[in-house]
Amino acid sequence: MSAILTRDELALALGRTGQGDRAAFRRVYEATSAKLLGVTLRILADRQLAEDVLQDTYLTVWRKAESFDASRASPITWLVTIARNRAIDRLRSGAAMRTATPIDDAFTVADDGPSPAQAAEMGDDVRRLNDCLGQLDERTGGAIRTAFLEGVTYDALAARENVPLGTMKSWIRRGLMRLRACLDT
Amino acid sequence: MTDPTDMPPIDDDQALAGELALRVLSPAEEAAARAREAAEPAFAAHVEAWNERLSSLAEGIPPVEPSPWVWPRVEAGMTPPAAANDNGVVFWRRWAIGSTGLLAASLAAVVMLMAQPGPAAVAPVAPPAVTRVATLTLESGAAAMTLAYDPGTGELYLAPTDAMAGDVRVPHLWLVMPEGGVQLVGAIDGASISRHSLGQTLSGPAGQANAVAVSMEAPGHTPGPNKPDGPVVAQGELQQL
Repeated sequence: MSAILTRDELALALGRTGQGDRAAFRRVYEATSAKLLGVTLRILADRQLAEDVLQDTYLTVWRKAESFDASRASPITWLVTIARNRAIDRLRSGAAMRTATPIDDAFTVADDGPSPAQAAEMGDDVRRLNDCLGQLDERTGGAIRTAFLEGVTYDALAARENVPLGTMKSWIRRGLMRLRACLDT
Repeated sequence: MTDPTDMPPIDDDQALAGELALRVLSPAEEAAARAREAAEPAFAAHVEAWNERLSSLAEGIPPVEPSPWVWPRVEAGMTPPAAANDNGVVFWRRWAIGSTGLLAASLAAVVMLMAQPGPAAVAPVAPPAVTRVATLTLESGAAAMTLAYDPGTGELYLAPTDAMAGDVRVPHLWLVMPEGGVQLVGAIDGASISRHSLGQTLSGPAGQANAVAVSMEAPGHTPGPNKPDGPVVAQGELQQL
């Protein structure tokens, strides 16, 4: 059962976690573990591995919470970043076998933006990012989404799109610059 | 190709920070970029900003309720709160025996102190001769506060990091005496820079103390002068400049 915490409540609970408050840490877990498992499962496509990484993620959160700075990062970004990076590390350590998601399907899924119903529930940041991604060349926007959601490198992206590595790099680098310009204005 | 006016120029550092956050780099490129992230705060800030920009992409991922065994395993892996925090006696005894393994207040502490952009009211035009400094660190090793004390004038200068900000408890500063006892200095501001003038009764001990520590006390509670009631959360050796 996920408890709903506002951003401020989550930031406060994370801050308390950093001071060694176990009850606050439990609240952070209850409010965010389903979301973070979604993230690790998307990358690892294996529930056992994804839950292993989830466990790892929260132990990292417990140890690092005191370095969380609410004035610099949003709490959910901070948590998602740890979970995603942990999952990608595991993916690249070779422990993960990506068999569950056929490549073609994966690309299609990642290409899709949010459904209207999802979009309606999203906050301003999310809508903005989707708007800005939507302004990119379709393949570039899709590649950035796929890279984020599946944690794949330039090499894999280039192979999937069947373009030279340099082309994929150029798409993404330019895409990132345009994304930044769009988001920061 | 799109309209060239629509294409911002590529800022290599920004692009690299974005690539690192997105994690599209090859292992060798990633290792090099991580090294820069660790060494260059400006670059690390770029990476952090990219994490912030991109993290909204995770909003589209459906949440998945974890299995019930995950939390117990997390709990089992949590390091217990440091014994010293729960047991003042052990902490003080350790001090009395001798403070080996302490993080020495280094030149870095002084630099940090000098670089601290304090409010105008705090920044001294002619700083007093600072003769003793300490960096108080949490059990984890993270810096909690920088302290400077001038025995000549009794002036005490405290520059906390934000490690204690947001705590509802009230930090209290303690002197750790060479013979092993402790002496309360008083409640301090755990969130912003402050200066204090120690009166005669404290300036003597402050000149002799070999370390300082911070305990967290319940709001409104003043502990006895020789023993904290709340947990000791930070400590640091006093060094002569």
